[in-house]
Amino acid sequence: MAKENVNQPHNEDYEYDTLTNDRLIKDHDYDGIRELDNDLPPWWKWLFYITIVFAIIYLIRLFVFHADDLVQDKEYENVMAEAAAEQPQQDAAAFEIVLLEDDASLASGEETWGKICSACHLADGGGLVGPNMTDNYWIHGNTVEDLYEIVEKGVIEKGMIPYKDQLSPQKRLEVVSYILVKLQGTTPANPKEPEGEEY
Amino acid sequence: MELQKFTYDNKLSKMFLYATVLWGIVAMLVGLTAAFELIFPKMSGGISWLVFSRLRPLHTNAAIFAFVGNSIFLAVYYSTPRLLKTPMYSKALGCIHFWGWQFIIVLAAVTLPLGFTQSKEYAELIWPIDVLVVIIWVVFGLNLIMTMVKRRVKHIYVAIWFYIATWVTVAVLYIVNNLQIPTSFLHSYPVYAGIQDALVQWWYGHNAVAFFLTTPILGMMYYFVPKAANRPVYSYKLSIIHFWALIFLYIWAGPHHLLYSALPDWAQALGVVFSIMLIAPSWGGMINGLLTLRGAWDKVREDPVLKMFVVAITAYGMSTFEGPMLSLKTVNALSHFTDWTIAHVHIGTLGWNGMMAFGMIYWLVPRLYKTKLWSVKLANTHFWIATLGMLFFSIPLYFAGFTQALMWKEFTEEGFLAYPNFLETVTQILPMYYLRAFGGTLYFTGAILFVVNVWNTASSGKFVRYEEDEAAAKHAPKAGEGWHRKLEGKPLQFTVAALIVILIGGLIEIIPMYLVKTNVPTITSVQPYTPLELEGRDIYVREGCYLCHSQMIRPFRNEVERYGEYTKAGETVYDHPFQFGSKRTGPDLAREGVKSLPNYKPDSWHYNHMLDPQKMNAESIMPPYPWLIENDLDYTNIESKISVMQSFGVPYDSYLNGQDPVEAMQAQAAQIAQGLRSGGIDVDDNKEIIALIAYLQRLGTDLYSE
Repeated sequence: MAKENVNQPHNEDYEYDTLTNDRLIKDHDYDGIRELDNDLPPWWKWLFYITIVFAIIYLIRLFVFHADDLVQDKEYENVMAEAAAEQPQQDAAAFEIVLLEDDASLASGEETWGKICSACHLADGGGLVGPNMTDNYWIHGNTVEDLYEIVEKGVIEKGMIPYKDQLSPQKRLEVVSYILVKLQGTTPANPKEPEGEEY
Repeated sequence: MELQKFTYDNKLSKMFLYATVLWGIVAMLVGLTAAFELIFPKMSGGISWLVFSRLRPLHTNAAIFAFVGNSIFLAVYYSTPRLLKTPMYSKALGCIHFWGWQFIIVLAAVTLPLGFTQSKEYAELIWPIDVLVVIIWVVFGLNLIMTMVKRRVKHIYVAIWFYIATWVTVAVLYIVNNLQIPTSFLHSYPVYAGIQDALVQWWYGHNAVAFFLTTPILGMMYYFVPKAANRPVYSYKLSIIHFWALIFLYIWAGPHHLLYSALPDWAQALGVVFSIMLIAPSWGGMINGLLTLRGAWDKVREDPVLKMFVVAITAYGMSTFEGPMLSLKTVNALSHFTDWTIAHVHIGTLGWNGMMAFGMIYWLVPRLYKTKLWSVKLANTHFWIATLGMLFFSIPLYFAGFTQALMWKEFTEEGFLAYPNFLETVTQILPMYYLRAFGGTLYFTGAILFVVNVWNTASSGKFVRYEEDEAAAKHAPKAGEGWHRKLEGKPLQFTVAALIVILIGGLIEIIPMYLVKTNVPTITSVQPYTPLELEGRDIYVREGCYLCHSQMIRPFRNEVERYGEYTKAGETVYDHPFQFGSKRTGPDLAREGVKSLPNYKPDSWHYNHMLDPQKMNAESIMPPYPWLIENDLDYTNIESKISVMQSFGVPYDSYLNGQDPVEAMQAQAAQIAQGLRSGGIDVDDNKEIIALIAYLQRLGTDLYSE
């Protein structure tokens, strides 16, 4: 099996591995395990050097140049400033709060209900932590404007959080419309006791 | 040269072998159960010791310390005497080591599901067990070192270098990370708090991977791969360079577990660069393993042992490349807290640790029983099933992690979170959890075939307890040896050198975190927990909430939008232990109590949610915790808890202002319970749920109270 190895001419002081013709290290024999005298693969050495250079540059960028992407607070501020600049200007005055009755809006409202509101009011609106939304009793009024305001600003002391940072005005209006058009008057599986005044 | 005769005793090897097989099956079974619990949240059936968050630490501890641990000891007890041409120093120490370690495992298997935990990952065991671990580890070290002293072979082989590095480093890591003050026989608080505790923990946690799951397995590789292939090791020079580089660099990499956290930039940067510099030294081990097989590739096709070694070493190469990539901030911004990490670590455990252990045992059993492997075909089947299982486990989880991270970060054009409801991002990846459970089942099935094969092989032969060998007495050092060769002839100095090398990184990272004040800027509004909140926090720790819920809001737009202001180091100063967590199977809870934030929930919601999470969110994968509602709160220990906190400098003197902690507790509990009762919930003041709610409603509020 042994083939001539041009790079490592045989030398009587050494032994050679018969399959690869690589030089064995003399006296290295551990329970029959021998070791070859091979050099480190050049690509491996280069890989190591490159990672060391990377490390040095990285640390210099942080400690000397305080690079924006390595100083955590700076990076955060930059991202937030960028996001604020991109934000479309909300024209609050132009937004009109009127009941929506078209199918698309109500379907979108239903989606929001399922994703967010149902956690406290249940999917069928029967109420759990939050009040029953199917009956005709209301704690904070029953108009579109009343409901819209609750969704926007919340009733923090009762656990209803404000959704102005999670739902756009359009989404808020859609879900409020869904409550008034679709949920009102339905019969949930386990309705919660009425709360508030009857309208 | 006169040859001396001596005898190896294979009894301990056999015992460690069976322990490896047994605990391997247990670890996998617990892991599989946990995987199914994530798909079927009601599976635990309201039984506290079966719930995911109590089983997960059992799974990780069993996999690491029981399965891999015993496989390491098997490798050490089998290879060390043969490499040093002398029996192990002491059979008695070996026996104490074996039975002590199994006793520790049994204690862990009992205490962890019962909720006795420190909550530091892979260091969950409570203090009395920690003391036992240290004693047994010293017994092991003594046996190893004394065997080296008694050796007949002048120079120690690279496998032994790795065993030495493992022993010294694990000793240092374990002791430093577990410094704690007991409040009772079963409970303690770690001396470190918050971000400092996190740094020490991940210095430990990362190096548990390095020095328990890597270096001893490299030692195993350096003995069993050349033996099984009957080939010389590829490069002695590479062994030297990659050994020292690996142990020196590894110890620095811990902070990469805390990227984009409240850890200061300098410490994060060290975590990044040392992780990147680890690629080559890690791959040095892979190259030396794989290239040792040059000239034996024809055997690899036939021999299941070599096949397993090849997949193991390849998995090692993959995860040691992936690890540094995950340490880059841009990648980590996506991967952290997702299933990506779970996939990554399982390439390591199922691939590297599992396959090395299987391969080693398939090679050893026929030798220990002087027979042939019962079925090579079955071993090959095991190999294929295990490999497929590993792929079915990890590929879906990579996909899950990536998908979920992108969903968390996505904004709509109007500037709102595209998926404000966390649960949506969970439901989306649930099919991947099914596939993972399928992959785990495959891998486990392979392990069953392994047990059958090992059992039948052993039954078909006769155990060879004593093996004769002979060797010349240790010779004097020869003239002209290089410095490293000289060091190889002096194992004690070698051990000290390894100790010095591994201490450097840890000292440079940890000491400044304590001494330099600017690393943890003080926030004046941050106050200690009330006695009731402290008890609630201990329940949170006991239940393992941190295993699915992080308490570390990272400084990203999407996280601040979703969870509130990002977490500051100064907020964590009273957190013994820290509760950052490492995985978000559920949402972050760092600001759960802040009423103006989107995640806020009223007390009654928490009450109902603990009782039946699916009632609140039909698709939730959180298991129910009904015992919190039934159990009475035990506050017999509160005074000792507060006094331990005071010994750490937590200002309870001024905070409680002379008030009796028990009275303070009862007053706060009465108020919360009253609120719940007024909402129609029938609950007593003294239930555990009340304390937990008190804690949850306190979370993150101090920063907002200014």
